[in-house]
Amino acid sequence: MADVIEATETHAEDHGGHGEHESFGIDNRKLGMWLFLSSEFLFFGALITNYMVYGNDTFGATVVPREIYDIPFTSVSSFVLLMSSLTMVLAHHSLAAGDQNGTRTWLLATALLGSIFIGGQVFEFYEFINVYGMTLTTNPASSAFFMLTGFHGAHVAIGVIMLMSLFGMSRRQGGLSEGHGMNLELVGLYWHFVDIIWIVIFTIVYLLGAV
Amino acid sequence: MTATAERPSKTIFRRPETTEGFWSWITTVDHKKIGIMYGYAAFVFFIIGGLEALLIRIQLAGPNGDFLTAAEYNAMFSTHGLTMIFLFVMPVSAAFMNYLLPLMVGARDVAFPRMNALSWWIFFFGALFIYSVIFFGDVTPPLGVEGVPGNIDPSEQTLLGGLPDGGWFLYQPNAGPDFSPGTAVDFALLGLQILGIASLISAVNFIVTIFNMRAKGMRLLRMPVFVWMSMVVAFLLLFSLPIIAVALFMGTFDRAFGTLFFQAAGGGDPILWQHLFWLFGHPEVYILILPAMGIVSEVLPVFSRKPLFGYAAIVFAGGGIAFLGFGVWAHHMFASALTPVAQAAFGLSTMTIAIPTGIKIFNWLATMWGGRIRFTTPMLFAIGFVAMFVIGGLSGVTHSIVPSDWQQTDTYYIVAHFHYVLFGGSIFGIFAGLYYWFPKLTGRMMNEALGKTHFWIQLIGFNLTFAPMHWLGLQGMVRRTWRYAPETNFGPWNLAVTIGAFTIALGILVFMFNWTWSKRKGAASGLDPWDARTIEWTIPNPTPHYNFAENPRVTSLDHFWHMKYDEDDEGRAVRKDNADEIVAQLDYDGKNPKAPIHLPNPSYFPFLMATGLPLIAYGIIFHEGLAGKLLIAIGAVITIGSLLGWGMEPLEEPHGGGDHPVEMAEAH
Amino acid sequence: MTDEAHHAPHPTTGQYVKIAILLAIVTAVEVALFYIDEAVDMAGWDGPLLIILSFFKFVVVIGWFMHLRFEKPVLSRFFAGGFILALSLYGIVVGSFLVGLVTR
Repeated sequence: MADVIEATETHAEDHGGHGEHESFGIDNRKLGMWLFLSSEFLFFGALITNYMVYGNDTFGATVVPREIYDIPFTSVSSFVLLMSSLTMVLAHHSLAAGDQNGTRTWLLATALLGSIFIGGQVFEFYEFINVYGMTLTTNPASSAFFMLTGFHGAHVAIGVIMLMSLFGMSRRQGGLSEGHGMNLELVGLYWHFVDIIWIVIFTIVYLLGAV
Repeated sequence: MTATAERPSKTIFRRPETTEGFWSWITTVDHKKIGIMYGYAAFVFFIIGGLEALLIRIQLAGPNGDFLTAAEYNAMFSTHGLTMIFLFVMPVSAAFMNYLLPLMVGARDVAFPRMNALSWWIFFFGALFIYSVIFFGDVTPPLGVEGVPGNIDPSEQTLLGGLPDGGWFLYQPNAGPDFSPGTAVDFALLGLQILGIASLISAVNFIVTIFNMRAKGMRLLRMPVFVWMSMVVAFLLLFSLPIIAVALFMGTFDRAFGTLFFQAAGGGDPILWQHLFWLFGHPEVYILILPAMGIVSEVLPVFSRKPLFGYAAIVFAGGGIAFLGFGVWAHHMFASALTPVAQAAFGLSTMTIAIPTGIKIFNWLATMWGGRIRFTTPMLFAIGFVAMFVIGGLSGVTHSIVPSDWQQTDTYYIVAHFHYVLFGGSIFGIFAGLYYWFPKLTGRMMNEALGKTHFWIQLIGFNLTFAPMHWLGLQGMVRRTWRYAPETNFGPWNLAVTIGAFTIALGILVFMFNWTWSKRKGAASGLDPWDARTIEWTIPNPTPHYNFAENPRVTSLDHFWHMKYDEDDEGRAVRKDNADEIVAQLDYDGKNPKAPIHLPNPSYFPFLMATGLPLIAYGIIFHEGLAGKLLIAIGAVITIGSLLGWGMEPLEEPHGGGDHPVEMAEAH
Repeated sequence: MTDEAHHAPHPTTGQYVKIAILLAIVTAVEVALFYIDEAVDMAGWDGPLLIILSFFKFVVVIGWFMHLRFEKPVLSRFFAGGFILALSLYGIVVGSFLVGLVTR
């Protein structure tokens, strides 16, 4: 452990030489965002655990999530979310290259793809509830399913709000400044994180079904 | 503030500028003011939690007590636990960290000053939200158990009986919709959720502050131990809070929206709650004790006039405790349906915790060994901490032996154990810190005679209260039970416990008097009242609002000590000059000392944003009516609106109140 | 992550598109595996394969789209720390429930 600290140290002094502080040479906000995202693993981990424990818990009800998944449909919305990561990274890339128009376009595209994903989830929930009669309170498996995918959907929705705020700012005169570049990067990190969580959910919950 | 021609930018509000009076406290982003507010709020809850404890003790003073009803008793022990853990020890630790971290690492503020204010206001409103249960909470009798003695008719609900009554652990399904049907438990679940958000924000903020805001030359292994322990705590918070957040959401959903996570009658598994709760709950106990360990590691070397023995060992032991602390949660669940393998594994992992803890204890003892000890009040409390914590730690080791733990589960032995570590540990450490850094806060000393009186009353009262609980527990006195029969012979020791509890209360009264008196009349402290070792004492007392006139440079651990002392040929410390002279000659980087200092500007948004969350929480509790839905909408609009306003507001106004050339001149 | 990785040039637009295409293909393979397992039983091989493939996607998104490959190693340590902690803690919890199911 001492080695690790010493190693980090050298690094800190290499890069902290210019500022007023001893530092790790990483922007405060970026470091904060990465720390927050690392803690989100524990958040979604608990929700996934919850689903894995209860996934088969029908408790007498006739319908469980794993039997009514629409795999082709969810595959398409997974694809949509995956591609939104591409548009997000392109928005960031465009801003770094000073291309304001490109930034705007890719931001809007990302928000749009995110909204399509949420739309798909709303449709899925609607089908489950109204066609299959599986609601939040049918059995522990359905409770866990809606809780997990719902909280993920809420994260996507917050991401869309942040993207739209950035888009709104980018339309003001002069577009996004260099200072906003960090905001864009932070939103991007959050957005990709939400995407990797969906990669896990799609495999564990949908493709593998319940354990 | 300095008058500047240009007005601060305007987003939704005019940027607040005031640094004095009511609004300055509402809009402040100064870590010191935030720390002070945290501290006072926490102390108010300490008093409330203490009064709850006294009510419990009156009820248990003799057999068949009839001072409280069973419902009131349940509410009292539950809110006592919730209050002391979440509304006292955690926020008072946050107060220390807020006030001291930037000073100890040599920064002018934390990394995210407005988020710091947000964290405080979220805590404040979350705490008010929990206690607002008095006005909005109701406890209806559990389904199918009307007429059970102790359960009350809603019309007979008393003020105290309406508080959350599910224990601080809120075990399910007892705290679920069937067995706790009123709204009281909702306030606990949602309130803890809000407090968790506050702590998570603080955790990120403190880690970034420690990593990125250190003074030049302050390498990680030159940081004071308190800073190290704060960092460890911040990581524990960062990784354990999301777990309890999910558990609290699940509990809330069970109650509000009819999910079936923990409702055994609907197929749910209450053991999952225990796992999730203790996955958080065990790191939580280290969150409560590590800041106190940090404080004690600062106090002991100063008053032993020796460097901390085994600095690196203490630091790594702190990290080790945190790491192991994540792997022992199931020892809280030995009495539940764990497999024998799991019980053996968790028993073993629990024993290993004793290793890093032992390392710390021995290093503290070695620090004192051979030192020229000054028995000041902070030192007495620090020594008290070490002694009491050892007792609590040893009884803790007995829990790791599974059959022994079965015997102790749910008895007063457990109550004795965790009060020895949390009161004898955390709270003694906190008092050591309060006495030690009081001059930093006020520029005055606390009265030593009163301080020592306080210490001895508290030490005697504490042991009179909690030592007999070991014996009562081993004799079979069960926790969370509102009365006991005379034939049990629990009476005499319980009376002793009650007398002890009131003795502690007397000690606290002495402390409160001392604090209030010393704030106005205490002797002036000067620059360096304790002959301290760390750089927060190189700046004037009370701390100027810009902290350091110049960005400090650090060349060693215990930097201030090395500025003051040289070694003679035989390795003895020789005083160079008095502290004032040394500090007056400080010239860190030869900068023009009249250079303006940029400080972040105050802001309305943290306060405003924090008001949104309790509104949403009320809305969830009363979501069946229109008012509830409206509250959710209003709360969401406030939160998101202030977030947007915040996003558009710069941290520092380009020409606003952030520049302080005038005070700079005064400082030199 | 080595120092070399730290100084490696950031990907270009074309490379990002290629990475996205790769991710899309892996997703298609995953879905295909699901149906192959429906048609002919893969004797339990579908599970590990799916987990490996999704972990591959997971790592690629983190490494390239989130730029973690190009950041200072300390960020990777925190992030990996959170992930590994979550994996071990929840692994034990899920494991204890599975054991419970078997012995019940």
